[in-house]
Amino acid sequence: MDTLSCAELTTREINAALAELPAGATARIEQPWGRHNLAVGLTNRITIEIDGNAGYFIGGLGDGPDITVDGFVGWSVGENLMSGTVRVRGNASECAGASAHGGTLVIHGDASSRAGISLKGGTVLIGGDAGHMSGFMAQAGVMLIGGDAGPALGDSLYETVIYVAGRIASLGSDAQVEELTDDDVLTVKQLIDTAGFHHIDPENVTRVASARQLYNFDALKNQRY
Amino acid sequence: MCGIVGLHLKTPGLYPRLGELLTPMLAAMTSRGPDSAGLALYRDLPGSAEPEMEVRKDVGLPEEICRRYDIAERAGFQGIGHTRMATESAVTTEHSHPFAPAEGLALVHNGSFSNHASVRRRLERDGVRCVTDNDSEVAARYIAQQLDRGADLGDALRMVLKELDGFFTLLVTTTTQFAVMRDSFACKPAVIAETPDYVAVASEYHALAQLPGIAGARVFEPVPEEVYTWTR
Repeated sequence: MDTLSCAELTTREINAALAELPAGATARIEQPWGRHNLAVGLTNRITIEIDGNAGYFIGGLGDGPDITVDGFVGWSVGENLMSGTVRVRGNASECAGASAHGGTLVIHGDASSRAGISLKGGTVLIGGDAGHMSGFMAQAGVMLIGGDAGPALGDSLYETVIYVAGRIASLGSDAQVEELTDDDVLTVKQLIDTAGFHHIDPENVTRVASARQLYNFDALKNQRY
Repeated sequence: MCGIVGLHLKTPGLYPRLGELLTPMLAAMTSRGPDSAGLALYRDLPGSAEPEMEVRKDVGLPEEICRRYDIAERAGFQGIGHTRMATESAVTTEHSHPFAPAEGLALVHNGSFSNHASVRRRLERDGVRCVTDNDSEVAARYIAQQLDRGADLGDALRMVLKELDGFFTLLVTTTTQFAVMRDSFACKPAVIAETPDYVAVASEYHALAQLPGIAGARVFEPVPEEVYTWTR
């Protein structure tokens, strides 16, 4: 296993070293001390362990690696994630998984406001609570919130579906609670297994989706815009 | 952008280290605000019941400014600091934070107020004059006016939510209190670390990462519109 220390290396040196690793390799980042931009823009199928609290944009733009942070992270963890996983064992600050096109972001603790903002197909799984305006303008993909959701959940939602195990402080504009189908229960079961969030009962979650009153386009109908 | 830091010491044993602990915190926020920097430091004076607040601010990089004013050698029980990336008014010492519009009161601000001109005019009608055209000075003078009218610091900050429109994380101190508040949308970052020895605030966690006992601290983000105060 390669060990990279933030006390000795710049962020650029760490990310360059990670990008050089062959598929299947494992690297450990030590003494992160809130460092921003660790393990961003990587396209190799490697495993990365970050040993402590990290800063902003951890694992952003990732298209391959599996990253685990043994601590909490700052803003925008897994921003624009394409594939692979980012797992945070602690809490995450704002905008977790913002604009993620694919891959899976797992947050064992709480996520702050605007989690999953503008989600574009990624999967955002939060074990604890999510802050205000989570799922804002989320277009595709799925979110699971194991605790409570803050105010204005799913504001201006497009086609992302949000499952919430706890209470919802309030729904945002054009977000609505819908009936939970058998397919939903199966989906939530799979998400629980992926994340290891066995405190969630898949049959007792609330499904939140778009009421589709704020947007009116349908790309499948060859409409012109 | 802009960076803010603050340290409220609970354990007198740490008082001699106030400046030594604050200096790297402020330096860590250089990337958020390389234009100017400043600090307000509070210390007890021998034989006096009233603590002293000292403000030091200047144009330049935070580390240079700390060196220029020997901040690392300063003792005290609390301090706040600011690194400025100017967006709405000139880069001068006068436009730098902290703003200290009344005795013992200091404010640092990360964000911007959109209706500061209207509030400044209202303050002027009440006889309160701003020295600069800076938006944060308006907030500082508005809070000072509320305190002057009898509000406590928590109430004065809640009035900011009603009267001032914009994005902000505010860190405000008096000789007895240390307060943090974020706007309704929590647009600007803030992280608080609390231990039995201190309360520390910063825009970003890495400014706190070197503090003693940080591994055991309760680290959390202030939620929108909630006033957090610590009283000496």
